[in-house]
Amino acid sequence: MTFALDDADVRAVLTAALGGGADFAEVFAEARRGRSLRLDDNKVEELTSGRDCGAGVRVLRGRQTGYAYTNVLTRQGLVEAAKVAAAAIRGQAHTQVADLRAATPGVVHPVRRDPLAADRPALVDLVTRANEAARGVDATVRQVTIRYSDSCQEVFIANSDGHCSTERRVRTRLVAHAVAARNGNIQTGFEGPGDCVGHELFDQHPPEQIGRLAAERAVVMLDAVPAPAGEMTVVLAAGGGGVLFHEACGHGMEADIVARDASIYAGRRGERLGTPIFTGVDDATVPGGWGSFSFDDEGTPAQRTVLFEAGVCTDYMSDRIRAAQLGIPQTGNGRRQSYAHLPIPRMTNSFILPGDADPEEIIASVDRGLYCKSLGGGQVDTTSGDFVFGITEAYLISGGEITVPVRGANLVGDGPTVLGRVDAVGGDFKTCQGICGKEGQGVPVAFGTPTLRISQITVGGTGGAGS
Amino acid sequence: MSDLLDLLDRIVARAQPGEAVEAYGIDETDTTVRADHGDVESLSSARTRGVGVRVIDGGRVGYAYTADLSEPALAETLDEARANARFATPDEANALPQGSGPLPDLLELWDPAFSDVAAEDKVAAAIAVEAAVRGAGPPVKGVETAVYGDQVRTAAIASTAGLRGAYRRCDAYIFVSAIAERNGSSASATGLDLGRTLGSLNIETIAAEAVERATRLLGGRKPSSAKIPVLLDPFTAASFLGVLAGALTGEAVQKGRSVFAERLGEQIAGPHLQLVDDGALVAGPAAAPWDAEGVVTGRTTLIEGGRLAGWLHNTYTAAKQGVASTGNARRAGFMSLPGVSPSNLYFVPGDDGPAELFARAGTAFYCQQVMGIHSGANAITGDFSVGASGLMIRGGEFAEPVREAVIAGTIPDMLSGLVAVGSDLRFLPASGGMGAATLLIEGMTLAGQ
Repeated sequence: MTFALDDADVRAVLTAALGGGADFAEVFAEARRGRSLRLDDNKVEELTSGRDCGAGVRVLRGRQTGYAYTNVLTRQGLVEAAKVAAAAIRGQAHTQVADLRAATPGVVHPVRRDPLAADRPALVDLVTRANEAARGVDATVRQVTIRYSDSCQEVFIANSDGHCSTERRVRTRLVAHAVAARNGNIQTGFEGPGDCVGHELFDQHPPEQIGRLAAERAVVMLDAVPAPAGEMTVVLAAGGGGVLFHEACGHGMEADIVARDASIYAGRRGERLGTPIFTGVDDATVPGGWGSFSFDDEGTPAQRTVLFEAGVCTDYMSDRIRAAQLGIPQTGNGRRQSYAHLPIPRMTNSFILPGDADPEEIIASVDRGLYCKSLGGGQVDTTSGDFVFGITEAYLISGGEITVPVRGANLVGDGPTVLGRVDAVGGDFKTCQGICGKEGQGVPVAFGTPTLRISQITVGGTGGAGS
Repeated sequence: MSDLLDLLDRIVARAQPGEAVEAYGIDETDTTVRADHGDVESLSSARTRGVGVRVIDGGRVGYAYTADLSEPALAETLDEARANARFATPDEANALPQGSGPLPDLLELWDPAFSDVAAEDKVAAAIAVEAAVRGAGPPVKGVETAVYGDQVRTAAIASTAGLRGAYRRCDAYIFVSAIAERNGSSASATGLDLGRTLGSLNIETIAAEAVERATRLLGGRKPSSAKIPVLLDPFTAASFLGVLAGALTGEAVQKGRSVFAERLGEQIAGPHLQLVDDGALVAGPAAAPWDAEGVVTGRTTLIEGGRLAGWLHNTYTAAKQGVASTGNARRAGFMSLPGVSPSNLYFVPGDDGPAELFARAGTAFYCQQVMGIHSGANAITGDFSVGASGLMIRGGEFAEPVREAVIAGTIPDMLSGLVAVGSDLRFLPASGGMGAATLLIEGMTLAGQ
């Protein structure tokens, strides 16, 4: 372990933290090394490496939280931070620190090819191969950006209940952006796989394939016509519907939002909101998943939580504070961007589980509609459930066939309504990755879905009423 | 401040012959208080320090950073930056800005009263804004977030090119998000104010803003599709300005990522329109005496009388184009190389307030919230299509609320349809500081039923 803290140091810090009368104290320490490399305009522009380290001390009493953090990872530095955190709660010390016991992880995410072992020329080779493949797709490809990033985060968590755990989280990602242009028409394409793994990522996702997919998306969209506007049947390709689930259903199922009564799903557990073929889970145990870990950022073991079971609203995603507040189990969804942030309930890998329909038949069943292959980012108003997300690659479906690509479209609706309109679920499955932002904290999350048919949803496009 | 600068000096002193070395450091202390149901939900305070080192050798750039400020870690960071540079593609436009002696300060960014604000007063402010929103009564149902935050931040820079300086700024803000509900319809909206210290923030105004904005959205329905004038609420105007800004940097233009790339000197908006970026504007959230690589900030006119007059530059993009940097190098923190982005960007305000703009519009859509602007608006293609909620304006007054609408078009069309800028300019912190004033835009497409 990178942290030169022994049991006695940790006890001293936790004891100082409890000095203000808190019921609970916790230390979250991390050391993170990361590298990033950006190739843009055929040039290796940025090769950056760095280290960040720090520790946050949190104290809780009832629903009150005190927090302080420091870059100085010594006993003295941490005790000072603990005293600052303790001062947020004014009372008499009454809690003892329990004996620290090292927790055994229930699930680990082994790394086969440590990214830090790859030398700089190897990284330059990865981005160069992706760039060349992207540029080779078509003469209309005007600009390509490739970004490689890796990070190795060593985490140490101890609390006054006696929990103590360490974890090494390694993540690798390669992202390609391509711009294609023809006669003043400009289109963009994106592909960006990443996982909680090392360079074995590239066995499944060769850099050439990443570059090529991004460029192909940009090129195909050059032929796109303005998307129709209005309500229609929409088929979301496998992987393509992940953002919908994340935005429209996931955020409102986070227990802090529920506790604040700012969720359309508050008070609706046990209620059937979706169709019986719709089951959604959040699962931090997925081996090597982009949003996976062994322990969450409060030391709770990773687990799989069922959010919607056959259409019925089931369990919220919680952290320590909100579980206590709502009287629900801790689900291991307490995550933070870094030691500088308080943990809050967050998604990890959120999946809609596959059904039994044949994806080809789902498309063939639609006389007129939209086939969305890839969605951009989205946004939700959790209070009303309203959401919007951009479509980055979509095609018109006509007479059961995929026809011309369309551009400038987005999907608009509200979560519960859409859940009730998922009327076909394919037997296929695909995962995408992203960084989800909430309260100024970005954390890695994965989205996975089979092919889905939504019987009716509003498409916002620039092409006028589709007919 | 001098400790940080001394530490940077020691890094720069280790430069080898022929290489250019720049060390950039930050030292900031943040306090955040969140209130919930009349009590402190959380009080967080912390100090963060870090240093980033840029090495340029033979036109090749390398970068490394560290939050560990021990001497061995600093030495290793310089070595890493040097090693990273070896594998970058050479580009003669890569150079450090030249300096001669100490950089200027901008003393108005620091208010000595900041240090006198007690922790109890910060806690009380967060509790007070939460109570003010809750106390408004029905249809206000609750408070999603009530936060007081402040920060004191020192930035310092030293380089082998002769730049050396440090400055300090303090900021305080209060943010509240109100939730309203009536007859099964719910809506939320924010109120926000920023200033140098707690004393310059008006809690009542912030709470009233959130309450009014949430309440007036209740009962919203999907509108009929129409091509009508749109009034952008100041918050929404700031969001769109952020998208426009992405198309006005030298970097976007040089890499073919700006819809305006070929249009310098052309009339892209009405002759009344001026768009200005001013990094030295003390009232703006992005004010600084010099930018993230030590170039002195100032005022850059991007749209002059409706004509596209220039781009934002850092030292690199300026060198590419053979012009001078506009002082728009920015970094997210100590962990990244300087990129190019706006500082305080705003349309020069007109004479008319919102009421006059409403009257002038007659029948229009007042767009109070947009959703999905990051995915739904594209500075490269210029296309946008975003979800919107707000209210109809009829006879110059607020009429029925609207939700689940979509406004769509292109950024260039939006600029040429921008007929009036309100006099109600304020700044919101976004990527830099975005000017927020009511904007009246003609001929936009509102899609609903």
